[in-house]
Amino acid sequence: MIPSHVLNMVAFAVLVAIFFAFLTQSRPKDRARVVVVLGGAMIVLSLIVAYVMYPFPLAR
Amino acid sequence: MDEPVPDSTPPPSTRLRRSPFVPCLLAWCVPGLGHLSMGRSARAAAFFLVVTATFGLGLASGGTASVVDPQQPLSYLATFDNLALGPLDLVSRSVSLGGLVYRLPEEESSPERQAVMNRMRDRVRMPTYEYGSTFLLTAGLMNILLILDAFDIARGRKD
Repeated sequence: MIPSHVLNMVAFAVLVAIFFAFLTQSRPKDRARVVVVLGGAMIVLSLIVAYVMYPFPLAR
Repeated sequence: MDEPVPDSTPPPSTRLRRSPFVPCLLAWCVPGLGHLSMGRSARAAAFFLVVTATFGLGLASGGTASVVDPQQPLSYLATFDNLALGPLDLVSRSVSLGGLVYRLPEEESSPERQAVMNRMRDRVRMPTYEYGSTFLLTAGLMNILLILDAFDIARGRKD
């Protein structure tokens, strides 16, 4: 079990990116590019969405 | 003059051609096995590692296999998604629900329903339950894509 939320999110992004890299690309260089772009986009966008949601109060 | 008799024996490539559903069935049984049966060993190894890692992380993080609840229509989709993992789904049900439960008993007071609900409550209390269930569902979706990909390769639509 990974106790950290951020590490869970990073693990999820990396696994999904590797999966789609092998599913959609044939050459190792293209696969590496997909892993970096897709995985990076998922991580960065998740952090942006998290910070955008930060000012909203939790339901009480 | 006699006409030549056409040879009815199919060429070797046609004789050896398997049904495209065989790789699909193999892919359902073990993630990546469908691709391995078609000679894509590197892809097969990567798919096996990624799908089993996603599945293992999901189970270790408190993820729970979905069961059909007639009051929640989306539970049908989630259960179908879990079933796409093949034999791995048996493992996740045994670990997370204590047995091969596929449908929540409808009667509220039945002991079977209470036992399943208690197992699910124990899992929900884990802090990473949501992550775990998402990982399990994602592993199922990945294997559905692998089955479809194996079908496309077997049909010659994709290299």
